[in-house]
Amino acid sequence: MRTDPIRIGSMVPLTGTSASDGREFRNGLIMAADEINARGGIIGRRVEPVFVDTGSQTAEVVVRAARGLIATHGVSAIINGYNIGPQNSEYEPIADAGIIYIHHNTLLQHHDTVASDPERYFGCFMGDPAEYWYGQGFIKFISWLRDTGRWKPRNRRIAVISGPKPYSIVIANAMDACAQQFGWTPAFPPRIMRSLKTDWCALLDEVRVHDPAVLAFTHFHAGDLAKFHLEFMRRPLPVLLYLQYGALHKSFSEIVGAQGRGTIVGTMIGLLRDEPGRRFTEAYKAQFGPHSTPEIGCQPYVALHHYAIAAAVAGGVGDPGDFAANRRIAAALLQLPYRSVAGMIRYHPKWQAAVPYPDATSDPSMGLPHLFYQLHDPEDAPALIAPEPFADSTFELPPWLATSS
Amino acid sequence: MSAPASAHHAAAALENLRLPVSYWSPDLRLLSWNPAFAERFNCFPAGLPSGITRGQFIDAVERAGLLVQIETQSDGEKEAAGAPTLYFSDGSIYRLESWQAPDGAWTAICLDITTAQRNERALRKARDAATAADQSKSRFLRAANHDLRQPLAALKILIYSCIGAQDETERQQALHAMEVSVAIMEDLLGALLNIGQLDAGRIRPSIQTFQISAILERLRIQFDHQAREKGLELRIIPSTAAVISDRVLLERILSNFVSNAIRYTEVGRVVIGCKQAGGQLQVHVIDTGPGIAPEFREEIFEEFFRISKHQDKRRHSLGLGLNISRRLAEILGHRILLRSHPGRGSDFAIEMPVGNIWHSTIGEPEISEQIGGEFSGLACLLLEDDPHVRAALAALLERWGIAVLNLADLGDIPASLAALERAPDIIVTDYRLNREYLGTEVVNEVNDLLEKPCPALVITADTGPELIAGIRAQGYPVLIKPVGPPGLRVMMHNLLFEPEAVPELN
Repeated sequence: MRTDPIRIGSMVPLTGTSASDGREFRNGLIMAADEINARGGIIGRRVEPVFVDTGSQTAEVVVRAARGLIATHGVSAIINGYNIGPQNSEYEPIADAGIIYIHHNTLLQHHDTVASDPERYFGCFMGDPAEYWYGQGFIKFISWLRDTGRWKPRNRRIAVISGPKPYSIVIANAMDACAQQFGWTPAFPPRIMRSLKTDWCALLDEVRVHDPAVLAFTHFHAGDLAKFHLEFMRRPLPVLLYLQYGALHKSFSEIVGAQGRGTIVGTMIGLLRDEPGRRFTEAYKAQFGPHSTPEIGCQPYVALHHYAIAAAVAGGVGDPGDFAANRRIAAALLQLPYRSVAGMIRYHPKWQAAVPYPDATSDPSMGLPHLFYQLHDPEDAPALIAPEPFADSTFELPPWLATSS
Repeated sequence: MSAPASAHHAAAALENLRLPVSYWSPDLRLLSWNPAFAERFNCFPAGLPSGITRGQFIDAVERAGLLVQIETQSDGEKEAAGAPTLYFSDGSIYRLESWQAPDGAWTAICLDITTAQRNERALRKARDAATAADQSKSRFLRAANHDLRQPLAALKILIYSCIGAQDETERQQALHAMEVSVAIMEDLLGALLNIGQLDAGRIRPSIQTFQISAILERLRIQFDHQAREKGLELRIIPSTAAVISDRVLLERILSNFVSNAIRYTEVGRVVIGCKQAGGQLQVHVIDTGPGIAPEFREEIFEEFFRISKHQDKRRHSLGLGLNISRRLAEILGHRILLRSHPGRGSDFAIEMPVGNIWHSTIGEPEISEQIGGEFSGLACLLLEDDPHVRAALAALLERWGIAVLNLADLGDIPASLAALERAPDIIVTDYRLNREYLGTEVVNEVNDLLEKPCPALVITADTGPELIAGIRAQGYPVLIKPVGPPGLRVMMHNLLFEPEAVPELN
């Protein structure tokens, strides 16, 4: 029986604009490997993470990272958070080697690539749901606030601004596409900002003319969101303001401070505030410091644990080229849903991506919760306001709306 | 053969008989049995007790869970009248037949009728289905005779008038009338098909939570024109409610209400609105038509119902719409409500449970890039003369939700461009087209003609560095064949949304 360690590759942006997320992705993988090793590894073999910095996250860099992990390190799987640039091109060397790849790129393209050749991409999994669901879920969220009387919109108009990345555009399009079915009228077609070096004040004035009741900005980068938000707060529009995932970052609250209060933020994968979630948070902070972010580190943490269970059930891991062993692991990943600290990871048999709750399943035990937060003061954790049964707080009227009404 | 030998043979025959046989005293106590009987009733741990009464025996096998049910035939016409049928827990079915000897003792034999019974059941089902189909067919023929003849006869006359038409106007009028007749026949056949499916029990609802607004919008698209043509106002009051129902069946019910409302209303309006109360949503279709007399309010839901023989022949209604609606509502478990004031109008409503908005589906069976991708809804002018490469690229682009356009004649770009159903958002071109045109030149000409010039990328199998540098110098990024989906995707994205990332453009 083999006793050499199992190498798990991880392509993480440890430098560049996403370095703060990259560090957390690294932490999460280390923590899961430590826990697996403490209980004896995967069928007696230790797990050894191998990290490659993907700094700029371009297709070239990420593809090179995947090739290096496979050829030089002989990794049995690649597990990481997200890389923005490669647009699935990293799937090619991974599919050639026939190993398992679990990422959190949050892209609808994943569905398309897997569906285009399920045989070839059998090992490619997305540990979180596609960004598309952000759009549909958000429209349901504001409709729920409206229909339950938690918030009374002034009118039915919704304004959507997108950043230049596919992720952001897909979310904006999804919001636009289903708004009308839920009783909302797009104030204008999604405004796609080709550059973020923009005069936010002028853009906000343009939005003001349309007098919307809701304003959503679907770009994800914390720094850009913070700049946008500060400009918004100089002369707030009487809207419910939604910012994409990046606004949950520490760097956002560090720049925006108390002015962030009242803003709505969503994530397709976060940390639940139940007992396992709290226990994980404590352990994570104890290991990586009080300023670490378990909400982000949990992504590869969860994925590695799920992989370890699937590999053990499948009878062991597969080296590059061992298609038979890796196919068994892929089958086990599909067949064994895993209730993680982030909620239920249940891979859709066709998409090979986590199924979101309540967006694609009405059963909270069968999907990964799409969480909605409302920011409070920077020192407070954001209030988790939806969906049931995971919410622990209630929606409050944002301060700029409370004063204007 | 001697008597003892014969008795011995008879005993051996009984012993080997695969049918369970038993022998009972005149007062119905078990005296003797063959091995097949012992095996069939093997629920006695200490073996079959001799002398057990028939009542005790049945009690014991029932208690042991071996026997599920005993059914006594009461059909006097059958040969085996009175022979009980035994249903065993393993799914097998036996008929217990018994004969009394002159000394009063009973011989009982268990006949395995499992297969025969199942066949009989299947036959019965098939016969019922055939009868239903036959009834449906009769109804179809009756209706066909009744209602399809008229537009068919009209069509016949119109064909002749079309042939003999003196001028174009006359021909156009005849053709228009033919179109109307065909549409009427289509409607009638559609309704009959619905009835056929209902009769055959083939309609299985697919219950979901969805926004009622989606159906209201479809009703608007379907009926707005029809109402306006008749000079009626179709007013739809928006609703944000989520409901639990079957999208298709609910729409069919409401379509029937609205189509009737428009058909029978001569002046005024048809209003569609929703009312929510006690966890239920009612969708009302209110018209300013003639209304329905109280005595007909139940009958109108019956098949082929017409208030009078001559009523509304000109309206070409089979009298099936409301019957279909009622039957569909029954399948869905929804209530239909009707209020009517003769001379003032009617209000047909259907009531269904209100759903949780979080569970509302948007009506797309599968989420894909075609529906929600970043390129979804865009148009690409694809210029590629190799039919195989073109087919592969077009399939890829369509999978991403892009409408693929083509120029019919590169020799006449202005005319080909004018013939496109929409302007492109992006151009993907091969470098050499039909050996006589250069892709870059075609793109230049297209962009000169377009109101809004669009970004373009060139694909080529030619890897000569000078050629590629030359294309790039003209401001076009280049991809080398074979083009992989990720590379094409990144390039198209950058051209459309992040031009700063395309060096050729800067």
